[in-house]
Amino acid sequence: MAETRIGRRGISRRAFWPAAGAAVTAGCAQAPEVPAGPAGKSAVFVAKAASYEADLESIVRRGITACGLAVKGKNILLKPNLVEFDPATCVNTNVAVLAAARAAFLALGAASVRMGEGPGHRRDTIYLAEEAGYRKLLEGFDRAFVDLNRDDVTFRENVSHRGGLYLPNTALGADLIVSVAKMKTHHWAGATLSMKNFFGVTPGAVYGWPKNELHRIGIPQAILALNKTFPRSFGIVDGIVGMEGNGPIQGSPKRSGVLAMGTNLPALDATCCRIMGIDPLKLEYLRLAREIGHVDEDRIEQRGESVAAVRQPYRLIEEIERVRLG
Amino acid sequence: MDVHQARLSRLRARQNHDGGWGYFPGKQSRLEPTCYALLALYGDRPSGDAWMRGWSLIRSWQQEDGGYRPGAEIQVSSWATALVVTLHCVHGTYDGRFQKAVAWLLGSRGIEGSWVERALGLVMRMPVEYDRRHKGWPWNTDTASWVEPTAHSVLALKKAAGKVENPALRERVTEGEKMMLDRRSPDGGWNYGNKRVMRTDLPSYPETTAVALLGLQGSLLLEDPNAAVAAAEKHWRETRSRLAKAWLTISLRNYGKDVPLGAEAEPDEDVMITALEALACPNGGHQWLKPA
Repeated sequence: MAETRIGRRGISRRAFWPAAGAAVTAGCAQAPEVPAGPAGKSAVFVAKAASYEADLESIVRRGITACGLAVKGKNILLKPNLVEFDPATCVNTNVAVLAAARAAFLALGAASVRMGEGPGHRRDTIYLAEEAGYRKLLEGFDRAFVDLNRDDVTFRENVSHRGGLYLPNTALGADLIVSVAKMKTHHWAGATLSMKNFFGVTPGAVYGWPKNELHRIGIPQAILALNKTFPRSFGIVDGIVGMEGNGPIQGSPKRSGVLAMGTNLPALDATCCRIMGIDPLKLEYLRLAREIGHVDEDRIEQRGESVAAVRQPYRLIEEIERVRLG
Repeated sequence: MDVHQARLSRLRARQNHDGGWGYFPGKQSRLEPTCYALLALYGDRPSGDAWMRGWSLIRSWQQEDGGYRPGAEIQVSSWATALVVTLHCVHGTYDGRFQKAVAWLLGSRGIEGSWVERALGLVMRMPVEYDRRHKGWPWNTDTASWVEPTAHSVLALKKAAGKVENPALRERVTEGEKMMLDRRSPDGGWNYGNKRVMRTDLPSYPETTAVALLGLQGSLLLEDPNAAVAAAEKHWRETRSRLAKAWLTISLRNYGKDVPLGAEAEPDEDVMITALEALACPNGGHQWLKPA
């Protein structure tokens, strides 16, 4: 894991926060108040899905429709969470969810559906895709998939001490990016869901393995910057089997039996946090995300299942225990 | 056509019009795959013209500060400057560009280990456990140091040692070796550069274990080279990654192990894998990645 720095050459964020006492952690801070978000409300769709053998395509189609997402004629990039492979746990977006999303978007009239990811630790992306079952189970995978770590790039201004980031042309050229994320705890950010999943679009060939530039910017700040850079997005969170404990890599599987979707990613992540028993307003990235979306409960229209019907408190390691809801 | 020649032929076919190689066919030329392609093609007579065009291109990518940018479109100096230094040493070109690149490399350093961080480490257990006195090389300026760029930089500086009069060179090589050894995983290999986070040991990866071993060639600080090589051999037996297999084969060959490449007959579409598999062949150029 990389370290975040406070100040130009200062102490690492990971080193600093534990010393700062109980109020804060690396990604879970009591930051100054930020705006309550844009006017109106955001819809988030939640569905029960007992296993990966369920009819996930139907669920995804219902979610897309319930959230009012226009799909027809769009060129779509599905961005799974493919990080490392460990057969003993569940680090990555399950292939069944990715397959269901692909089929659903095509069925609803998308012009094209590609897939892309840039893993943050391992350099052989295709090997990871093989191990995760993507190559075997997703027809035409090699033609449809782009290694975002090594794609052609263009510079985009956003928040960074260097004024912006080089980003992959495949992502920049998509009409819609669908973050097909995993429901996991995260030992720095508190939780990793649809917004943090955008870390994978930054190219390792420019920023390395790990993409330490993002930690240098600050994990919450980098999450916000990337999501602002890609405003045309939709999120699908695979919580059928999530990860609790020492996520995002070394945690334990958590059967939650849920899929969640939304057009407003802060609202989607806030809902997922509530399902996991995490207070979204205690996560710094979601507090910052109120600049672009809805996090507060009364600004989210819950469609499908209620949060209470699917809530499954996740086990948190002591470093992030303070983000527990209630 | 044998495995080696098939890869050289594929590399020649995949060269871009500007003389460089992208990570994949038809993609923008980039410094890293171009350097590996040039190392693989070096000395191959039918590849002479291709080699010179690639060499000319990357030489034009040197920045004012002496570092090399990762591609024509990317205006930052990159860790892969280390690969360019290695390439200069293989080619025997020790001109002004080479000297400036070495100077840039010597000035590049991870930003971790501030005095506050070190002071905190004296009174509390840090979430990321490592010795903050040792700094290696970062992927980008103003970020922390990691195993892969450190290993390539240490190897490049070892190769450049006899051609550069800078007292900092030996010191940085030693510091880089110490950094890599400190961040070694408990299983004997290396991952990207953290051995223990949040009270949990982290496992090594095959490709970074191989690259770390290349950086540590000839190191007197590596007290148990046999154990490190054994960790690499275990990864070599178990990995299904073509990239990792190629790196491990290169590295193990350089440590005197006669391991087969185990590559499929058909070269991969991934240009970097193709180049590394060529280098991993018995007569394929893995020796270019030895310190001397």
